[in-house]
Amino acid sequence: MNCQEFLEVLPHVIDEGGNTEAETHAASCSSCGEMVNDLRHIAEQAPLLLPMHDPNPHVWSSIQQSLISEGLIRGGRTPRPAGVIAVPQRPPAWTRMGSMMAAAAVLLLAAVLFNYRPKPGVSSASAAQSPDEQLISQVSSKNPSVGKAYEESLKQVNSYIADAEKAVKSDSNDSVANEQLMDAYQQKAMLYEMATARSQE
Amino acid sequence: MSEAEAIDRAKNGDAEAFEGLYGLHKRRVYSLCLRMVGNTPEAEDLTQEAFLQLYRKISTFRGESAFSTWLHRLAVNVVLMHLRKKTLPEISLDEMLEPQQEDAPKKDIGVPDNALTGAIDRVNLERAIGDLPPGYRIIFVLHDVEGYEHNEIAEMMGCSIGNSKSQLHKARMKLREHLKISRAERPAGR
Repeated sequence: MNCQEFLEVLPHVIDEGGNTEAETHAASCSSCGEMVNDLRHIAEQAPLLLPMHDPNPHVWSSIQQSLISEGLIRGGRTPRPAGVIAVPQRPPAWTRMGSMMAAAAVLLLAAVLFNYRPKPGVSSASAAQSPDEQLISQVSSKNPSVGKAYEESLKQVNSYIADAEKAVKSDSNDSVANEQLMDAYQQKAMLYEMATARSQE
Repeated sequence: MSEAEAIDRAKNGDAEAFEGLYGLHKRRVYSLCLRMVGNTPEAEDLTQEAFLQLYRKISTFRGESAFSTWLHRLAVNVVLMHLRKKTLPEISLDEMLEPQQEDAPKKDIGVPDNALTGAIDRVNLERAIGDLPPGYRIIFVLHDVEGYEHNEIAEMMGCSIGNSKSQLHKARMKLREHLKISRAERPAGR
């Protein structure tokens, strides 16, 4: 079997395992062998991608408004202004737990930010930068396109935090808003952890 | 409130139950939409549409499959319907799934290169998936990320099983190319 013939059976090799002839070729040809390893690795890593993104709170506001206008939900609930999270009436235990979880998330983010230190050698100009800007600069100095991806992600998560904070401010006992704020802080903490790990590679 | 209780209450129009179901499933539905369409505004619109359809159809949920499976399938259909509307009516779905020649993966037969194993992190893989041509991205997300079988994908997309398999292979090859380029762009020594 040559490389061209191997390529024709490659999809079968990846998903179902090849026949002896294909396996022999993959073992003897470094290029084809590496291709098999890479494609299998991609297929193995993909299911590990977590659903890590939460929709902006305004999505629920829009859904709620549509549900009310279509008459799909009953009760005297009125739509909130766009960008403000709806507040369900929850048992007091949930409310307390939501507040505690939000407080824990704030502490988590504070700990991550406290432990985050720009790498030595960063110019003094960076001292005037916010933690977000320092993080983006540091990642961008290694790889501008990755820095841009982090910048976009931070922008999204900050916008999410702002929306959630607004909702919590309007009702500090709102357990859903507190949970959303916690999620937002967790996402930001996760971004910092990922970026810090990347910049220390 | 358990999920089963929330479903029963939502069938009767209970607003709090609707919100509870949204809270439980929003992340998975939104992430699916975002990965399939590759941009935030569209993903938000589709998440909204998926949940509205859920609430409109929830009375038809009989519990033959898990609620999350049912909702997930509904969300996939919402995305696919959206993508169908975006393509020109005279172009078949099979054609939409077949990217332009310049988007097709290169056949680098016999070219030695370094293995990617161990060089893939979540950010890179997510970014590479986002860079895939739409047809490849949809099949890859449905099969490799979400775990649908080729026969299920063929049914949902209205294409053949062979076409689904072929597109998946091309998607993985294209991802490999993206990841190799991304790694090559990293500064030396990393």
